[in-house]
Formats: sequence, structure tokens, C-alpha cells
Amino acid sequence: MWHRWFTLQSRITSLWSKRKLDAEFRQELESHRDALVEEYRRAGLDETEARRAAILKLGGPAQLEEDRRDQQGFPLLDAVLRDLRVALRFVAKSPGFTLVAIATLAIGIGANTAMFSVVDAVLLRPLPYAQPGRLVEITETNPIRGWTHATVAPANFSDWQRMNAVFTGIAAYMGTDGKGAGNLDVFLTGDGEPRRLKALAATGNLFDVLRVRPLLGRTFTDDETFEDRDRVVVLSYGLWQSAFAADPQIVGRSITLSGRPYHVIGVMPSEFFFPSHDVQIYTGFHASHKFFAENRRPHMLGVVARLRDGVSIGQARDQMNAVASRLEQMYPDTNTRMGVRLESFHSSLANESRPALLLLFGAVGFLFLIVCVNIANLQLGRAASRGREMNIRRALGASRLALIRQLLIESLVLSLAGGALGLLLAVAARAALLQYAPDALPLYADLRISRWAVAFNVAVSLFAPLVFGIAPAIFSSRGVGLKDHGSTEARGGRSIRNFLVAAQVALCVVLVIGAGLLIRSLIRLTHVDPGFKGEQVISFNLVLPSVRYPEDEQQLRAIQDIEDRLRAMPQVISVGATSKLALRGSYWTGDATVEGKNQAERELRHKAVTPEYFRTMGTPLISGRFLDRSDGPKGQITLVNEALARSYFGGRDPVGKRMKFGRPQDSDPWMTVVGVVANQKQDSLAVADQPEVYVPITQEPAGSMTFVLRTAGDPAGVVTAARRAVQGFDKDLALTDVISLDDLVRDSVGGERLRTWLLAGFAAVALLLAVIGVYGVLSYSVNQRVREIGIRAALGADPVRLFGMILKQGMHPVLIGSAAGLITAAAVTQLMRSLLFGVQPGDLPTYFATALLLAAVALAACSAPAWKAVQVDPAITLRDE
Amino acid sequence: MAEPKTEILQGTLDLMVLKTLDAMGPQHGWGIARRIEQMSGDSLILNQGTIYASLLRLQQRRWISASWGVSEHNRKARFYAITRSGKRSLAAETEKWERMSGLMARVLRLTPEG
Repeated sequence: MWHRWFTLQSRITSLWSKRKLDAEFRQELESHRDALVEEYRRAGLDETEARRAAILKLGGPAQLEEDRRDQQGFPLLDAVLRDLRVALRFVAKSPGFTLVAIATLAIGIGANTAMFSVVDAVLLRPLPYAQPGRLVEITETNPIRGWTHATVAPANFSDWQRMNAVFTGIAAYMGTDGKGAGNLDVFLTGDGEPRRLKALAATGNLFDVLRVRPLLGRTFTDDETFEDRDRVVVLSYGLWQSAFAADPQIVGRSITLSGRPYHVIGVMPSEFFFPSHDVQIYTGFHASHKFFAENRRPHMLGVVARLRDGVSIGQARDQMNAVASRLEQMYPDTNTRMGVRLESFHSSLANESRPALLLLFGAVGFLFLIVCVNIANLQLGRAASRGREMNIRRALGASRLALIRQLLIESLVLSLAGGALGLLLAVAARAALLQYAPDALPLYADLRISRWAVAFNVAVSLFAPLVFGIAPAIFSSRGVGLKDHGSTEARGGRSIRNFLVAAQVALCVVLVIGAGLLIRSLIRLTHVDPGFKGEQVISFNLVLPSVRYPEDEQQLRAIQDIEDRLRAMPQVISVGATSKLALRGSYWTGDATVEGKNQAERELRHKAVTPEYFRTMGTPLISGRFLDRSDGPKGQITLVNEALARSYFGGRDPVGKRMKFGRPQDSDPWMTVVGVVANQKQDSLAVADQPEVYVPITQEPAGSMTFVLRTAGDPAGVVTAARRAVQGFDKDLALTDVISLDDLVRDSVGGERLRTWLLAGFAAVALLLAVIGVYGVLSYSVNQRVREIGIRAALGADPVRLFGMILKQGMHPVLIGSAAGLITAAAVTQLMRSLLFGVQPGDLPTYFATALLLAAVALAACSAPAWKAVQVDPAITLRDE
Repeated sequence: MAEPKTEILQGTLDLMVLKTLDAMGPQHGWGIARRIEQMSGDSLILNQGTIYASLLRLQQRRWISASWGVSEHNRKARFYAITRSGKRSLAAETEKWERMSGLMARVLRLTPEG
């Protein structure tokens, strides 16, 4: 229908030439009228009569011109622009109200924008691969071992590759944190200090599975998975920039990583990352064919696969389950009850942070509602005083709808201003988050205020007036009865406002209870004994490159030599080393057998430690003895933790008993338990202690060790001296992950602390707004009732009872709101169960304390107006009337 | 007021204006209004101002065009002329109207059965 389009076009063009069109039309009407006048005159009417008849025949010019304008442009737009001018004038006229409204809206919308940009970065924004939704993560499950998503055994991985028809490709990688595969750090040597790089070893098809192209050069070929090829690396954009000065000739150059030469074959584009932003370099896997053919016991690979077109994840799951059960039959020794788990790759990355994020996003949603309710309340408070303005407007012919529209536009002006300010707040919040809690976000998330976040901000700003503006607009537009000189409050107004106060209190109670539960969790968590005394202890990691220290004996000698050098430092009280530090969450596990039992224990964690390790950590000995320097390599002894003593030996003292790695039929040597140490926290303060053994380093040397130093003075100063001492032994060794144990403990609850503070902050704002709401409504009502109160006082009302009466009026909605809030909280907080530690969602003390807090705060907010009421002087009030 | 006069039916004025311009060539507003009244045998009450709403609507749809000229009384006047798409629309609308009025006539002739 072309004519519709032409009409729209013509209406739009008319906006620019409004004046000219109006003048032309007036002229046209005049000449029409003149023609009519002449006609009537010819018919015999005199001049005046002819003129009157002509106007009757044609219609009044003012009306015609008005109709014409409506038809010509956009009448609604004109009206809206007019309303906008009125609104701006109104907003400027009451700066106090405007300021409060814009500020609270800025907080409400800003918090939502900031949280949305986090949710966007972590959960929504697509990953930088082609069709990222078709990528799945595959992990292994095993109910016997309690595995829900374990890394994959290499031989299972290569069988999957052969036996499935649902994926276009399956790739494996190794070296990222958090997947149990451990860190795979490499050291870039050349000129100057060795530089530690976060590396990822990938099978040759990884980049094909992700469907990404390099910026320069090429990515891996399939046969570069194996060891018989030249060693190759692909650089991340960041590393190319920082370590190689963006050298365009980098491809083809050779670099040295941990003492081995590698060829640079490609550079990835800047937006690429896999699987997190901290990976700097991708190396070919370069493992033996045997490694992928035979290793079915160690689980170490991360696996990502791309679904074939037309295959759903459900179908893929069915086929992979079938593959897994075939493997179970073929290799009962290793694969009994070994299942697979498929999950969208993106959601597997986001899993850990999702609950906390959704909690906080929900919380800012509540905050937003509270802000809206608060502003609605403020606006209703003004409704009565604006009643006369509304009456006049209606008397002048404004329709009710026009008044509502105008009031809504006022709300919109406030909301847009608040939204713009909120956007600035969100930008500031982002900067603050990156500065003070850089580790709070998962490593793949790129936090920026994206276009989507801005769009969200605008959408919320446009939506907000509908939430907080409609009720006040409808109510205000009614105007007031002409007889009311604003001396009594309109009944309807008061009940709406009381309802809003109750709603606000209810929302606030839910937020405060949520925050209270998190705070109690955090307190519980920080009071957990980590199993060591961290004051004055500093730790760092050293990796002994296997090129220079290929044999166990060389590694052992290096560790002992370095320990001796560190011990010789004057500030150092004692020194120890372990293959895996407590609280890091990384460990090796395996089967174990207790002598006399014919069933294997599963998932025993083991670490190798030097004799002084536990003494340096300050971990108490429960029974037996610590390790000793005189324990030789052939001693076959071990320490165990309390959790092991409890679960393997039923709590009886295991000292003197023997156990071994592997199953009963395996031929591993027996080890005698010489001592039991207190549990050191392993994955986090929140996770229950698992059985763990500590073998002497002499029995099981390791290429990567964490050294701990108990110092006499300032631990920071010790680091420099320690670095010198280490490099005195080997100048190419670099100290990494330098951290004091106090910080280690603190960082381990960093996420919990941050989310607790955020929620507590939101709750505090909500509480403040609720107080404003309660106070505002009551003090307004007291002002309206001054005359009535004056009369009561004049008639001899008891001031105490008067005080009580006002208090009761103010507390009424608070009590109703609190009750509603407590009930809502009991339901809503069930959703945050997974985020709590040592506290139940229905924790009564928290609910009780919240109710008490709300009551106390509300009483304080009510007593000011009540006190004012008692102070009313009847003589003055009555004279004023 | 000897005979009953008819109020103009919503939407039919546009069609009358188009037909008038088609039959008479370019005309000013007053001329169109008078012509419609004459053709109806003065049985139509036309508030002549309403013709301008119709004229603007037709212009916006580009069914008629307008230009300034001088009237027979030597006055400056705005002349309207039907465009090619206006003629197409007139044909279509006329056919629709005739079909409709034929249908109405048949329906109204129905008498209740015995």
C-alpha cells in the first residue's frame, strides 16, 4: 500500500515547513470565503449577512486550521513535545524532589546496568568461535569415584574420536586450571629473566573444531598432535604484542620454552581466547602415539567437540552413552561405571559463577522495584498538593488522558535523567570492580559496557516510568474536590501509599535476609581452620624444566639444594616444600589399598613433601611423628591426614599400619604410616576434607614444587632475598605465584566476600529507601492532620496516647510488609542454598534479626513525625484555619 | 427545506472529489465543493470546509496534486488536479462502490418470506 507510505512521508516533511503550510492554508480558506461572500451578495444578501452566511457555510477558520494541523503533522508528537516542555519546567521548579528521584533512580538503574553487563559478559555474549552454540564440553562421570565432570583419559578420548558419528571433530587440551588438569606453565627464555607463560597444549584439530582462523600464519595440523614432529606454537595476540613487539615476521621464528626450541607457526586475532583470557600460548600436544592409545587411567584432558549439523545435543548424548558402555565392556579394568557428560561449552564455562550472578541480578531487580515504589510514593505525596493544578488544567479543557500523559512524561524525564546517571555509575562500578576484585569474574569474561548493556539501560529507563509513574499519574489526574483545601488527605491516596510502603518494606526484608544469610555464611567460612598458621609464611612456586632436570635424582638434589640455600637466609625460620600447596584445589588422585582389606579405596589424594613442610606451615601433628631428613628414599613411609585416618581406619590410630597405592592386586610397594597430621583445607575452606597422604619427596620427586618460608620479619622483603638465593642456584628459574599464606586464605574466599559485600550494599540502600518511604508517608499524613490533631489536643488528648496513635498508624504498613517479606524470603532464599555455608536458607536468627532491625529502623523513622504531632500547639493551628 | 437533505457518508467525500476532478479537470476547493453540491441537486449538506480535509488526505496519498494559480474571479487560488495514480485509485474505488451499492440494493430488496 504505497499511499500509506506517501502519507507518512508527507506528514514528516510537513514538520519542517509547518509555518509556511499554515499560512498557505489560511490564504486558501480566505479566498474560498471571499468567493462564497461574493456569491451570497449576488444572491441579494447585504455585506454583513453574506459574510455570516459564508462563514456558516465554510466552517470556523480556527477549527478548520486546527483540524488541518492534526491531519498534517503528528498531533501526538506535538502534544508530547508540549508536555515535555511542561515537564522540564515542573522538574526544574521542584529541585529537591527532582534530585532525590533522579539520584535513587540512578542507583536503581545503575546497579541493574552494571549487573547486566556482568551477566552479559559471563552468560549471554557468544564466545568468539564460529557457531559457538554447536560446541559441547565432554567430561567423564563415575559414581564409584564420585566424579560428576572429570577430565578425560587420553585413550578414552581417542576411542571417542573413532567411535562417534555425531561430531565433526573432538579436540583435547591440557593445561588449564579448574579442570583438574593442572597448570601447564612454560618459561620463555631469551634475553633477561625467564618469563612464565600460561600455556595450553592442544591436539592438532582444536582450531578446526572451534572454526577460527589465525591472524598470521597457520594453526596446527592433525599430526602435530604427536611427538615425532617439530615442536610448534601459536601465539595469542596479547603475547605477540607484549613479548614480540607485534613483529610481523614472527611466523617461522624459533623461540625457547622451558629450554626447548619451538617454531612459531601462527598468531591468533585479538578477540580470540580459549578457553580463558589468560592463556598466552598454544603448543602442539607432541605426545606419543602410545600416550593416546594406552592411557586409560590418568584423567587429564579437557575435551571440546562440535556437533554435526542437524544433530542435537540430546542425540549426541545418546550416542556417546552407547560408546561409553561399549568401552565399559571392552575395558572393565579401567572403565567400569565410567560415563560421559555432554554440556554446552558456554554453559560449562559459566557454571561456577551462574548461581552468584543470578542471585545478584535478582537482588538488583528487587532494588529497582524498591526504587520505583519509593518514587511512586514521593509522587503520590505530591499528588494532593498538585490537585489544584490538575483541577485548573481540566477546567481549561485538558482531558484526563492528556493529564495522565503529561504526568507520565514527567516521570519519563526523571527516569531518563536517572538512567543516564546510572550508566555513568555502571561505568564507575566496572572500573572499581576491575581495580579491587579483578579475580571475581571468570577468566573468559570480558567485562565492558557493551552496546547491549547500554540498550538494557535505555530499556529499563523507558520501562521504569510505567512501574513507578502509572499509579501516581492516574491518581493525581483525578484532581481534588474543590472544597478540600488540602486539609484532609484523600482517603484513596493514603491507602495506596500505605500499600506501597508495605510493598517496599517487604522487598527490603527479602534483600536484608539474603544479605544476612550471606554475611553469616562468610563469617562461618572465615572462622574455618585452614589447618595451618599462615602468619609470616610466604609461598612461591618453582618449576624445574625437564630439559635440565630430566631425572628424579637431579630434581631431588635441586629441591634439597634450594631448600638449604633458603634456610641459610637470616630472616627465615624454617623452609619446606610440597608438590601441591593447600587450598589451591589441584591434586592428583588414585586408588589405594589398606593392608588387610581386599577392596580398593578410591580417589586418594597424594602429595610429596619435604621433612620441614608441616612444621613450616604450622600444621599440628595428631599422632606418630613428622617426616625426618634421615628418612631415606627406600624407607617407604607416609604421613596421612585425619580425614584418612577416619575414613580408612574407622578413626583408630593408623600409625604403624601399612597401605599402598593401587588396587589390592597391583604390585605397588607397601608404605608404613608414621604419623597423622591435622587436615589442611584442600579445595576451599567450604569443602569437606578428603583423605590425603603425604609421601617424602625422596620417594616421589616432582618437577614443580611450592616452597613455604616461615619468616621472622616482613615477608615482602624476604621475597627479593629468596629470588636471589634461587637464582644463585640456577639463574633460569623464576619464582611464580608468590603469595603469603594469609593472602592465600583471604583470596580463597574472595568471590564469597565480594558477593556478600555487594548484596549487603544493595540491602543497605533498600533499607535507606524504606526508611525514607516510611518517614515520608507518615510525616506527610501528620502535616495533613495538623488541624485534627490540634483539636484532639485542645480537647485534652493525652500526649502519650497521641504519640502512640501516630506511631501505630506509621507502623501498621511496616508490620504488614515485614510479615509479607518474611514469608517471601522463606521461599526465595531457597534459591540461594548453593551459595550458603553452614547456614540454612530458613535460618531463624537471621529472620529474627532482620525483623528486629526493620522494626527498630521503622520505629525511629516514625517517631519523628509522631513527636511533631505531640508538639502541635492547638491555639496556633486553630487560628491558622 | 422541502426535501430531506442527506448527511455525507464517511469516506465517500474523497471519492466524490476524485470523480469531480477527473470529470472537470483542475479545480480550486471552492469550485469542487460547489460542483459536488450542484451534482447532488443540492440535496447534500456540505460543510464546505470539510472538503479541505479530503483534499489534504488525497494529496498526502499523491492521488491529486496542487498548484497555485489565478481563479476566474482573478483571485489567487490553489488548483487541484487528479494524478495518474489518482485515476487508478478512482477506477478501483468506483468499481468497489458499485459492487457494494449493488449488493446493498439487492439485500434491501429482500422481503420477509410468507
